Amino acid sequence: MFKRLQTKLTVLYAGLFALALSVVAVTVYVAIANNAQRAVRQELAATGTVFDRVWALRSRRLQDGAELLSRDFGFRAAVATHDRATVESAVTNLRQRLGLDLAFTVGVDGDVVGLDPSRLDLETLWTALDAEDGAQGVFAIDGQPYQLISAPILSPTLTGWVVFAAKLDEREMQALEKLSAIGLDAQVFTQRGRVWVSADQAPATNALVAFVAKAMQEKSRAPSRLRSDGDNLVLVQPIRALDPTRGAALVLRYPMALAMAPYRPLMAAVIVVGLIGAALVAAASWALSRGLAKPITALDEAARRLQRGENVAVEVTTRDEIGRLAESFNLMAGEIRDREAEMIHQALHDAETGLPNRRALERAIQTRLLSVAEGEQLVIVAIGFDRFTQVRAAIGYELATELVAKLGRRVAETAPGLVVGRLTTSVLCVISTATHIDEVLARADNLLPSLEAPVQIGGEPVDVHISFGMATATVGDSDAARLIEHALIGLDQARARQKKLMVFDAEAYGDPASNLSLMSEMLEAVRHGGLLLNHQPKLDLRSGRITGVEALVRWNHPTRGFLRPDLFVGMAEETGHIRALTDYVLAQAIEDQARLRAAGHEVMVSVNISGRLIDDQAFAEHAIAQVSAAKANICFEITETAVIGNPDIALAVLARLAEANIRVSIDDYGSGLSSLAYLKQIRADELKIDKMFVTALASGGTDALLVKSTVDLAHSLGMKVTAEGVETREVIAALQLMGCDLAQGYHVAKPLAVEPLIAFLDAWPIDLPVDTESRRIA
Amino acid sequence: MKRLATFLIALSIGGSAYAGEVTVSVRGADGKPVPDAVVMVYPNGQPSKGPIKFPWAYRVSQQNIQFSPFMLVVPVGADVQFPNLDKVRHHVYSFSPGNKFEIKLYGHEENRTAKMNAPGVVAIGCNIHDQMVSFIRVVDTAYAAKTDANGVVTVRDVPTGAITAKVWHPYLRGMKNEKALAITSVGAGAAREAVTVELRQPSGHH
Repeated sequence: MFKRLQTKLTVLYAGLFALALSVVAVTVYVAIANNAQRAVRQELAATGTVFDRVWALRSRRLQDGAELLSRDFGFRAAVATHDRATVESAVTNLRQRLGLDLAFTVGVDGDVVGLDPSRLDLETLWTALDAEDGAQGVFAIDGQPYQLISAPILSPTLTGWVVFAAKLDEREMQALEKLSAIGLDAQVFTQRGRVWVSADQAPATNALVAFVAKAMQEKSRAPSRLRSDGDNLVLVQPIRALDPTRGAALVLRYPMALAMAPYRPLMAAVIVVGLIGAALVAAASWALSRGLAKPITALDEAARRLQRGENVAVEVTTRDEIGRLAESFNLMAGEIRDREAEMIHQALHDAETGLPNRRALERAIQTRLLSVAEGEQLVIVAIGFDRFTQVRAAIGYELATELVAKLGRRVAETAPGLVVGRLTTSVLCVISTATHIDEVLARADNLLPSLEAPVQIGGEPVDVHISFGMATATVGDSDAARLIEHALIGLDQARARQKKLMVFDAEAYGDPASNLSLMSEMLEAVRHGGLLLNHQPKLDLRSGRITGVEALVRWNHPTRGFLRPDLFVGMAEETGHIRALTDYVLAQAIEDQARLRAAGHEVMVSVNISGRLIDDQAFAEHAIAQVSAAKANICFEITETAVIGNPDIALAVLARLAEANIRVSIDDYGSGLSSLAYLKQIRADELKIDKMFVTALASGGTDALLVKSTVDLAHSLGMKVTAEGVETREVIAALQLMGCDLAQGYHVAKPLAVEPLIAFLDAWPIDLPVDTESRRIA
Repeated sequence: MKRLATFLIALSIGGSAYAGEVTVSVRGADGKPVPDAVVMVYPNGQPSKGPIKFPWAYRVSQQNIQFSPFMLVVPVGADVQFPNLDKVRHHVYSFSPGNKFEIKLYGHEENRTAKMNAPGVVAIGCNIHDQMVSFIRVVDTAYAAKTDANGVVTVRDVPTGAITAKVWHPYLRGMKNEKALAITSVGAGAAREAVTVELRQPSGHH
């Protein structure tokens, strides 16, 4: 209902007080009203009793007068002898003496003396007088109620009655009213038929008339409230009437307002005091609740601000619960701040070195990107620890981490305010701004010697070798993560090219996103023939004949043109599509061989098999089935390292291939990590010496020695030797001298499609040009 | 004594050969006998001619501040004695029309008389003692008497033939406090009638 605590408390307190006060006021009022009413009732009852007494006294007085007259001998004689004049003078005399309104005699014969008989209902009066000695009561004369008192005239028998009458008018009632302690209103009511009428000049209200009629009918003798005609307390007291059919009643009326009047100042005082009290309580509770609610409001506000992440503290003004709450809140807010700061620090810093981490760097880059000016570049420099794993293996994790941290500090000291972060375990990162990348390259180049100075770790100097990879961002760039990635790739590229510094080469890297689509396009080409095989002939150095070819896959991409194999073959290996590619190449090689056979050329076709497929038995079975079905003469070229991954399965597969009469050739021998142990185990038919040894063969030196010894090694293991990358006649000659079996290279022939190959083979002279050459050399 | 007197009257008047008697029993509405009711018989409806003489004394004495008897029947012109037997004095009066008299204060052992001049009712009171009330019925017929304690009265020696008869009592409810009797003739024997009358409370005598 109330949104504010203060309002709620104020309304509650003020409301409660007002309620209590109202109860008190009502109680006081009811008590006073009851008291007043009781007093009035008592007064009314008392007045009623007084009236009875007064009535009785007056009746007695009149009675006495009437009896006195009725017993006077002369009067009786006058009445008995019908001496009207005497009788009339006698009653008039007494009327004046007693101060009566009317005095007259009624004879037993109905003769009225002293009053005009037409002014009253004589028969009713006579009957009433005759019914009882000394009859008295209210009787109407001229339609007005009179109190009538009678006394019989006996002479000695009843000859008539003396009747005195006193008018019950307002004057009389006022006299009665004066007898009462309270200012009540007295009226006499008489019954006319069913209707009660007031004797007063002013007619009574209908409500009062009805009330009197009801009270008389119910014979209720207690004062009761009459509210319809003003609030009155009314007592209806019956008066004896001479005519029983026409009752009379004394009605005493007292307005309650009059009864309440003395108490009115008291009530007013109660109400005024109550209102003042209520106002005071409202003000006090407003102030109190304000004191109570204000710190709570402040806390509420502070909590909201805390929620928004603002730095807040509540002022502690009191020592009560709310004060303690505010203190606790401040403590809590402080702890939350500290914890949040710690969390942010942890989130943005490397736990080991305390350097900003990758996320922090991303943020920093993001911020800096927004403020890069026109013509400026943001340069992200990845500083890679060369051979870090080896160093770490040598000095341990802890010291290696210390080394990174020290290097970070060293980098940071090169320029004030430079942010140095740790991107990976062994790569640090610096963000720099320059107008051209060359500036950064130059600066890095200058710094390199000082950065590579040995670092003191545990008192011992440790050599440090680092490489730089850089990425640049200009206005409009916004992807910090990608920039970092580029810097890291730049570092990889630098290392791959064995350079100390390199800016990310986007072209060399290609577009990974388009590479991904390249794979689906390659699979499409596999299915619908976008790929083709070129075959590079292999020359038998002893016979001078072309005895084999190496099938090399080519892809004529619909939009990008001819793609180099190393662009999509490696990717096919990485993305798991190498099987599909190899299946295609093998099938195509078998088909091409069949065409060569049809053209009368029997040559062995070598197919490159990825290291990932060597231990794939399903592929091996498939290949064996294909080759057997076509009775093809196929050689699988594998690299030695491919076997190392899963030697047991790979060697078993190679054995199966040998059983199926599929030759195995060890490719690129000497370029990778050559293991003599594996060389011994692999049952290969051929060893291909990598072209990096062959190309420079002619110039002699160590390469020639290596090739010679390799040829000897292979021969002794029962393998033929093929030299790759034969580009000059001199090399062929040298190879012949060394006892090499086969030669492959541009000097023999470049890779050829099937049709040109057939033409090439057709044209191949039986006589060995090389022989002649070698002979010539020899 | 009373019986002897009646006998004597019967002898004296019974000279005529043809005479009867009328016996009337008067009772109130409550069935109680009504004493002191006066029955008056008029042969042929005519008052008696000549002097009338009743066998009882024409006397109303005052004794114990009461009149005694309460009811006295006298003929017209009779002198009624009012002896005072009390030790206090009395002031006897009557305002009855035709028979107004006043005997002012007289004492013990004194006797006064008053003459009843007109037939009718004479209500006698004492001006000193309000409770003292008695009645004298002045009649103009020889055939009248008052009921005894049993409410019975017998009027003797009534000449046979047609009569009118009425009963009177001071408190009888009716015109002139009278009621006509049903009997209309008297034969040689006794004529009887029982009559019921309604009495009202006497006023002023509490």
